[in-house]
This record gives sequence, C-alpha cells and structure tokens, in this order.
Amino acid sequence: MVDITETLDCTGEVCPYPDVKSKRKVKKMNSGEVLEILVDYPLSAERIPETMESLGHEVISVEKKGTSAWTILVKIK
Amino acid sequence: MDFWYALVAGLIIGAIFGFILQRGRFCMNSAFRDIILLKEFKLAKAVAVSLVVLMVGFAIFALSGVIGLTPKPFKPWSAIVGGLVFGVGMVLAAGCASGTTYRVGEGMMGSFVAALGLTAGALWTGFGILDTAKDILQSVTVGTKLTLFGELSALTPWFMLIVGIVGIVLMLVFWSLPTIRRKVKAKEPLIKFENFKESTFKKGYPWWVTGILIGLILTAGYIVSKGVVGITGGWMDISLWFTSTDSVMWAGFIIIGLIFGSFISALISGEFKFRVPKEGFTLVKQFLGGLLMGFGAVTAMGCNITNILGGVPQLSIHSIITGACIMFGAWIAAFFLFSMWKKDK
Repeated sequence: MVDITETLDCTGEVCPYPDVKSKRKVKKMNSGEVLEILVDYPLSAERIPETMESLGHEVISVEKKGTSAWTILVKIK
Repeated sequence: MDFWYALVAGLIIGAIFGFILQRGRFCMNSAFRDIILLKEFKLAKAVAVSLVVLMVGFAIFALSGVIGLTPKPFKPWSAIVGGLVFGVGMVLAAGCASGTTYRVGEGMMGSFVAALGLTAGALWTGFGILDTAKDILQSVTVGTKLTLFGELSALTPWFMLIVGIVGIVLMLVFWSLPTIRRKVKAKEPLIKFENFKESTFKKGYPWWVTGILIGLILTAGYIVSKGVVGITGGWMDISLWFTSTDSVMWAGFIIIGLIFGSFISALISGEFKFRVPKEGFTLVKQFLGGLLMGFGAVTAMGCNITNILGGVPQLSIHSIITGACIMFGAWIAAFFLFSMWKKDK
C-alpha cells in the first residue's frame, strides 16, 4: 500500500483543468511524495499519466473506479 | 433532398462520426489550445492526418466525377472576425462545435449548455439581432471560389491530390518512421492485434487512427450529402424544427446521429455519466462561449468542421484563413484565461 501525500479532486471538471491543475500541483510537491488524482473526464484520464511520465514522475497506477471515474497515483521524482 | 434519404443517411453517418469522435476524443479546441497550453501535440496531429486523408479522398472522388467541389467564396473580414470569435468562444465553451456535440452524448451538461448557446448565437446571427453585423462583415468578397492555386478549376483536384500525398509522405517520414524504427529495434510488434475488440470498443484511439477514420467518414459524408458536413447548421436545423413548420433535414439528423453514436461509444466503454460542472459560473462561461461560437460560425460561413475539415482540404483560401484565425483566437483566449487563472491559485 502506498502512502498518499495529497489528493487532487478534479471530478466534474472538463479539459484542460484536470491536466493543468495536476501539472501545477506536482510542481509544488517534493520528491518521493505521492499524489492521488481523481478524474471523471476520459481524455484527462489518458493524458495525465502520459504528461506525468514525460515530466519524469512515476505513474504508480491508473485505476478505473466505476463509470467514467479514474484514480491516478503519481510518485514525484 | 428526400426526407427518408436524409433521415437514414444522416443518422448513419452521424452515428459513426460520433462514435469516432468519442473514441478519439477528437476536439479541435483541445487540439489547438493544448499546443501552447500543455505542449501536447497528439490531437493536433490527428487533425493534420484527417486533413491529408480528406484532401486525397475529396480529390479522388472529384476526379472521378462523383462529387463536385464547393470551396467557399473568399470573404476576408468574415473569415478573420468570424474565425477569431469562434476560436475565443470554443475555449470558453470547453469544446469546438463537434467536440461540444459529442460530449453531450457523454452526458456532460456543461457541453449541452454550450450547444444551446451555439444554437442561439447562430440563429441570432443568421436571422436575428446580429444579422446586420454579419452582413457587413460578409459584404467584401475577393474572387468567386478562390483556392490556394487560383480560382476553382479542373486542375484543383490535382493540386489537392499532390498536396495531400506530399503531406502523407512528410507525416510518414517525420512522425511514423521514428516510432517504427524504435519498435523494430526493441523487437516489439508494429501493431498489436490480439486485443482488437478491446482496443476498438473500450480504449481511446491513437491519434493517427482517429485522424484516418475522421478523414474517411467525412469523405463518405461529403459523397452522401453532396456537400460538406457541418455542425452549427445542424443545431439550427433542429431548433427550427421546434419553432417552425420546417422538418429536420440532413444536417439535423447528423447531429442526432452524432450524439447517439457518441452515447453508445461512451456507454460501451463505461464513460457515460451525467456530469455537471462544480461551479455554476462554469455553465455561464460555457453558454457565453457557445454564443460566440454561433456568431463566429455563421459569420465565417462554417464552424470548425465545415471550414477546417471541409474547406481546407479543398484548398479554399477562405477556409484556410478562417482555420488559422480559429487557432489564433483559441491561443489568445487560452493565454488570457489560463495565465490569469494561474495567478489567483
């Protein structure tokens, strides 16, 4: 089980808010911390993990929780 | 056009189009805006791929005499002002005309509100209070059917074919070759076929698949309807059906089919859910964005689909300038909206 440092709830938000918010959030976090991102927008669920990887962070998991709801866990590099 | 033909063909083309839009998350708002906002190019690449496919597709059918080309007359002010307003509007509405429509099928209430705004804006500009503004902007016309290579002529399809093929070759060299090389080096299979069903119905499509499919379905749409597929006209068509004795025709059935196709696609992949933005102000913003898009689309004689995916493949100067202004408008809006938003967070 991973320790979640912070949670970012982006449910109900349309693109590009989830993408932009999560990108800004990880910038403020410290190395080794884990961010949990909640999204219900399909495009962001696919794009946030890609963006995180391209930024060099580790995507621990992308889990689909029910209809159009995803939980993304990212470990800050 | 015969009613039943419009009904069946419109619904079928619309439904397939909607399905692809939802799977590919194909939205020009995201495509253009994210070039500067997120430095993300996948959807922009999908737009580029669909453009070259459409160029070759339209050219082949024009050369064989199946379709006639219909580039728009070049009206500089209508293209520039309409395009810019449309671009700003789509960022506020969080979706272009087609993006907004397919998201209605996903159950996003914000997009439904934006679609209402789009319809109202289009009707006011077409027949109502903004009618005069549109007429003034459209009063200047340069040439009759001006394309990138002079007036429309028998040679135009050949130019389209050449530009399209050159585009395809360039994309293969610059975008596909690096990936193919990497995969061959890593001894990965080029295309994974084992979970065909899963990737067709459950997952989002890669950008190049989306681009090719959009190109093919809109080519089919052009042949079936004998003209470009549009979104804004469709919403106007539906609203006129409520308010007048006109019956819904081709353009309206495209919209109904599109929403249905997107709904089915979202349902199969478990992505359908009624979603309302948390802040009420977002809805106001999306409605305003819709209004601006409606004004822009009617002024520029077409939304992003009609101009960018209908006119640009025909090398129409009017559509190319409108398209560029839509992109520029989106960048202006994204810059102000998100850089201001950044400060208060």
